[in-house]
Amino acid sequence: MWSVTGALGVAVPTTAACRRKPFLVSSSLPKQTTKLHLSSPQLTLPSSHFSSSFKTSATTSVQQQSDNKGERTKYYFLVANAKFMLDEEEHFQEQLFERLRYYGEREKEQDFWLVIEPKFLDKFPKITQRLRRPAVALVSTNGPWITFMKLRLDRVLAESFEAKSLDEALASNPATLEFDQPEKWVAPYPKYESGWWETFLPKEIQESVV
Amino acid sequence: MAAEMALVKPISKFATPKLTNPSKYLSGRRFSTVIRMSATSSPPPPATATSKSKKGTKKEIQESLLTPRFYTTDFEEMEQLFNTEINKNLNEEEFIALLQEFKTDYNQTHFVRNKEFKEAADKLQGPLRQIFVEFLERSCTAEFSGFLLYKELGRRLKKTNPVVAEIFSLMSRDEARHAGFLNKGLSDFNLALDLGFLTKARKYTFFKPKFIFYATYLSEKIGYWRYITIYRHLKQNPEYQCYPIFKYFENWCQDENRHGDFFSALMKAQPQFLNDWQAKLWSRFFCLSVYVTMYLNDCQRTDFYEGIGLNTKEFDMHVIIETNRTTARIFPAVLDVENPEFKRKLDRMVVINEKLMAVGQTDDPSFIKNIKRIPHIAALVSEILAAYLMPPVESGSVDFAEFEPNLVY
Repeated sequence: MWSVTGALGVAVPTTAACRRKPFLVSSSLPKQTTKLHLSSPQLTLPSSHFSSSFKTSATTSVQQQSDNKGERTKYYFLVANAKFMLDEEEHFQEQLFERLRYYGEREKEQDFWLVIEPKFLDKFPKITQRLRRPAVALVSTNGPWITFMKLRLDRVLAESFEAKSLDEALASNPATLEFDQPEKWVAPYPKYESGWWETFLPKEIQESVV
Repeated sequence: MAAEMALVKPISKFATPKLTNPSKYLSGRRFSTVIRMSATSSPPPPATATSKSKKGTKKEIQESLLTPRFYTTDFEEMEQLFNTEINKNLNEEEFIALLQEFKTDYNQTHFVRNKEFKEAADKLQGPLRQIFVEFLERSCTAEFSGFLLYKELGRRLKKTNPVVAEIFSLMSRDEARHAGFLNKGLSDFNLALDLGFLTKARKYTFFKPKFIFYATYLSEKIGYWRYITIYRHLKQNPEYQCYPIFKYFENWCQDENRHGDFFSALMKAQPQFLNDWQAKLWSRFFCLSVYVTMYLNDCQRTDFYEGIGLNTKEFDMHVIIETNRTTARIFPAVLDVENPEFKRKLDRMVVINEKLMAVGQTDDPSFIKNIKRIPHIAALVSEILAAYLMPPVESGSVDFAEFEPNLVY
C-alpha cells in the first residue's frame, strides 16, 4: 500500500531479505590537486579584477581562484537522506551520468559532486534537525543547475555556502551506507547496482574507499 | 511526448496519420497514390464512437478515443498567465535554471542512425513487422504533436515571457528531433509519415491551459517511465533487442523527464491550479484518464510488448505506479494505484473494452451496433467512476508542504 511517507523516503523499515556489504567512506580528504573548470556565467565573483580573465577564457579554475587569490567560492547544494538520494531515486543516477557524459563530450571539467555526510552541514542546524542520517548532498558551483535539481527531486533541502577551497567544501565525515533490498521489486529490470555513486564522490574519497 | 496518452491527447476524428511511400517523392514514378494504413489504427472506439466513419470511405482509418492526438490551447490566456507584468509570483529563478538546462542540449549528437536499423527492419517479418510499424507511427505522431504545440507556444509567448517562450522552443527542438528519428525508423520499413499532411488534416483537441499543464505533465512523465523501463528491460534481456531504436531510449527519455519538470515549474508558478479542491479533482481525473488509456491501449497490443519480452500488464502497472509516485511530487492529489483494487478495476475495464471491440467487428448495421454497445459502455463508465472515487492520496510539492508540515528529509 502506497503512502506519501513511503514516497518521501521517510523511515520505512523493511525486513532485509539480503544485506549488502556495508559501504565505508573515509573521512580524510587529502590535498586536492586537480584543477576544476567551470563556466563563468554560473560563478559569482566578489572582486572585479577577475572579470578580465573571464573575457579571455571561457573557463577558469576553482582551485586557482581559491588557492592563489584566497577568494571564496560559492557552492550550492541540496541534501536529503542517503536512501532517498542514492537508492530510491533511480532517475537521479541517470541524470548524473548523463551530465558526466556531456561534460566528457565537451571536455568540461566536473563541477558537481556527491558528498556523503558532508561536514558543511554543521553550519546548517535548521537543515540537520529535519534530516535523516546518513545524509547525502549534491554539491555544485553551478547554482542554476542545483535549482533545477531541486525542482526535479523536490524532497530535498537546498542551500549554499562559501568555501576557500574544494577540500573544505567537500569534506565529509565517515559514514556507512547500507540499503535494505526493497520488500517487493516489481520492475521488469534489476535495480542499479549499489555503489554507482562512487564515480561522483570527490576523487580522493573514491581512492580511500575499500 | 509519450505516444500513449491518447485520452488526453488531441482528439482527431480523422484517423491515424496518412502514410505515404517515400519513393513517391524520391523517384516521382513508382507509387502515386497515398497509402492509408488502416491496419495501424486503433480498434473501434469503446465509448465515443462517432458517425464520422459513415461519411468516409472504407479506407478511412478508424479513429478512437485511444489514438494519439494533437492539442491546441487558449494562447491568449497563456500569454496572460506568463506575463511577468501581470503575474508577479512567477518564479523566474526556476525558469532560468530550466532554460540553462535545456540550452545545455545533452542529446545534440545522440540521434545518429547506423546501418543496424535497416538490417534489423529487414529481419522483422510477419505480424511483428506490422506491430513495429504501428509503434513507430504512433510514437512519431505523439512526438510530432508535442512539437506543434510547443513550437506555437514558443512563438506566442515571445513578447510576454521570453524565458518561458525560449524553453518551449527548445522543447519543440527535442520533439522535432524525436519525431524525425522515428520517421527515419519508418523509412527502414519503406514508409514515411507525411507530417505536413498531419499538421493540416488532423483535428486538434482544445484544452484550456490548466488542462494542458496536467495533461502534458503526465504525458511527459509517463513517457519517461515507459522508455526507461523498456530500455532497462532490454539491457537486461538483449535477446529481445530486435530493433536498435530502443538502444537510444536511455538518453532520449531524459528529454521527456526534463519536459515534465518544466510543466511542473509552470504549475508551481500558477498555484491556483494546484491548491484547491477542484485542482485535486482534476488531478485525479487526469491521472485516471492517462492510466486507463495506456492500460487499454497496451492490452490491445500485447503482441508488441510480448515481442520485446515484456508482460504487458506487469509493464503497465510498473509504469503507472512509478508515474504516480513522480506525479505526487506536484499534483495535489493522486490515485491510490498501489491498492490492488485499482489493478482489478483496470483488468475489468480491459474485459469490457474487448466486448465493445467485438461489437464493432460484427457485420451488424451501425445502429444495432450502437444499441449493443450501450450495456458495455455503461459498465465501462461505472468501472471508471468507481476507480475515480477510490480514496485518493494527498500529495504535492514540498514547496507547498501543507500536506506534511513535519516532513523529514
